[in-house]
Amino acid sequence: MHKLSNKARIAIFIVLGFVIFLISNRVDELRVYQGATVAVYVVGIASIILLTGYSGQVSLGQGALLGVGGYAAALARLHWGVSVPVSFAIAILAAAAAGALLGVAAARLSGPYLAGTTLALAVGLPSIANQFTFLGGEQGLFYDVGFPPASLGEDFTQYKWFFWIAALATLLAIFWLQNVMRSRYGRTWKAIRGSDIAAELAGINIARVKILAFTLSAGVAGLAGALLAMTIGTVSPSAFPLALSFSLLTGAVLSGVTTLGGVMIGAVTLVAIPEIVHSVVDRIGASEAVATNLPSLIVSALLIVTVIFVPNGPVEQMRTKSKKVKSL
Amino acid sequence: MKAFNRRKLVTASAMLAVTALTITTVPAQAFSPKSEVGVSANEIKLGITIPMTGAASPGYNKVPAAMKAYFDYVNANGGVNGRKITLVVKDDQYVPTQAVAKTNELILKDRVFALVSPLGTANNKAVAASVNPAKRGVPVLFVNTGFSGFADVKKYPTTYSLLPSYVMEAKIMAEYIKDNFAGKTIGLVYQDDDFGSDALAGFKTAGVKFATTVGYASGSQSATTAAGWVTKLKAANCDVVILFGVSSATAAGLGTAAALKYAPQWILGSVGGDATTIKAAGVPAGVLYNAVGASFLPSTTDTADEYVSLFSGIYAKAVPGSAFDNNVLVGMNSAFVTVQALQAAGKNPTRKSLIAAINSKGSTFASAGLLPLNYSASSHVGYNGYWFGKYSPTGDLKPDGGKYTLYTTDSGSGAVVKSTYKRPAMPAKGLPN
Repeated sequence: MHKLSNKARIAIFIVLGFVIFLISNRVDELRVYQGATVAVYVVGIASIILLTGYSGQVSLGQGALLGVGGYAAALARLHWGVSVPVSFAIAILAAAAAGALLGVAAARLSGPYLAGTTLALAVGLPSIANQFTFLGGEQGLFYDVGFPPASLGEDFTQYKWFFWIAALATLLAIFWLQNVMRSRYGRTWKAIRGSDIAAELAGINIARVKILAFTLSAGVAGLAGALLAMTIGTVSPSAFPLALSFSLLTGAVLSGVTTLGGVMIGAVTLVAIPEIVHSVVDRIGASEAVATNLPSLIVSALLIVTVIFVPNGPVEQMRTKSKKVKSL
Repeated sequence: MKAFNRRKLVTASAMLAVTALTITTVPAQAFSPKSEVGVSANEIKLGITIPMTGAASPGYNKVPAAMKAYFDYVNANGGVNGRKITLVVKDDQYVPTQAVAKTNELILKDRVFALVSPLGTANNKAVAASVNPAKRGVPVLFVNTGFSGFADVKKYPTTYSLLPSYVMEAKIMAEYIKDNFAGKTIGLVYQDDDFGSDALAGFKTAGVKFATTVGYASGSQSATTAAGWVTKLKAANCDVVILFGVSSATAAGLGTAAALKYAPQWILGSVGGDATTIKAAGVPAGVLYNAVGASFLPSTTDTADEYVSLFSGIYAKAVPGSAFDNNVLVGMNSAFVTVQALQAAGKNPTRKSLIAAINSKGSTFASAGLLPLNYSASSHVGYNGYWFGKYSPTGDLKPDGGKYTLYTTDSGSGAVVKSTYKRPAMPAKGLPN
């Protein structure tokens, strides 16, 4: 097992960060906004890859955990006036706590039962906001991360500020996730995914390890929720619909659910497809209703195609191919 | 294993590079720095976000076509100072996240001059928080919501409301109840968000006592949930029930109550009171008959009204086969006021000159409204009152006694008084100069 040294990885992430920084200065504001959305999806999808790809558990309710994170961040900032990084930390902790609870239940379930439980969560949880006035009902709560510092200049837009925050948070989260997956825990998760009986025989406490996976995954989802809340300036039940959970899962499958390496593929696809469809629809002059609903159809079709032809995702596929070529 | 991880790295970097290249090669839309964004030598580009699909779309999805019909009529008659008006329509499905994303597209990609008639209270709030049109100096003309907060000039300096606020509507409705249904047991169904809380505030100011109030979450309205409302209303023995929600909620309430043989005196809020939409949702006209409704525009069947007659003619030609209803009238009237605002903004309109023009001349704009517009530098309030009437056996809202009796009030604690406003004559051929 020879892997890149930590120093090399840190260097790579710093270079990546610098490239992203350079790009953010070159593109227009809409791209910057979309970049922030991509960052939200990257973190959300990564949370699913951690859970499903590594520990073998399925969650259809990741959107609800994003909601927990988003609301926690908004409430903390509204009521306690905490700084943005602290509100992110609170989002991560709150979602992780919710994930731990869910994990306790999940450790007893598997397959369709687990999928059903998490699905129920995605359907039910957002509507809780309608029951308690302090959650702001249907129209939600404001989540304001403030204007960019004046030292960045007059031309520095709000969305660039959002993007910088989101990109930095995403890089940190992915770096940390890679660390976790390379650790003892990552290996035990993989062992469980491979065969839980074998893992148990090897002395792994399956329930505890599964709960830990759920907790960490939920924490990452919470961060994604806070980032999402930041980009739209508010949290509301309709910002965390069932469709969000499905989009993230689709993104994870498109990325290749067993590798963190392809996480950008899913995120970019989810943001780019509506954009591409819109420009095509504008050109052929079809109705707005087509433009809004066609992307979901295309993404679903892509999901089916991916599952049929590259079930492990494009990145894994390329690796397997290169391995075959080498062994010849 | 070594090759593996290198490959992983190479793939990831290649991905990133490709993405970066794709993004950077997309040219930033070129625009001449001399003229204002969205204004060219022969075009003024406006944008709207509105639910075109989804649960809340019925009725409101007719608004863009109605607005386009009037804009095209103006375009065919020389446009605004020689410029044609185009309207870019984006479907937000009544979801705030979508409204933010679509408004960003309108402002940053389509580069519209101004937003017109964006619909929805929660949507407009999310847009104000995230996109922040005020900070960008983008005018938001005539938001399609009666949330009183949008008239707050300090908080939303570039936003103008047009519809009377829900607070005003509730206060005037309370007056109508006092005059016509004194001593009756009253129930209320409202949308559980700022739209509804605004109405609740108005009813509270007017001192209306409800036997029961039923809040529903936006988007949750259906025959199933409406059965729950009916159970609660029946249990409270309500004689008079106010349905203060969107059209689909009104239709669900009326339809389900009829199926359950519950027939109180209905009072419908103006937002969800459009007869065509309610009937299209499968509610028989007979169920609507005798329900009380309110409007600030003339009755859509009042063909003697010069605006109704002109607008219905234009609409019939532009969108053949589509019924001329209140949503269409509201849309065309918004377009009509927008054209005047654009004209008042000068030969070479800028976003600043547009706002200055509405602040200084907005209160003199002609419109189909039977109440005055109240724009000034310190007020972004549009219409400020209502007339009440009943739905006819065919389901058309007609004023009581065949005559519009108009009431006016404010969004604060001001009294409800009869309006003495006389609407000025329509500009010739409905083309303001």
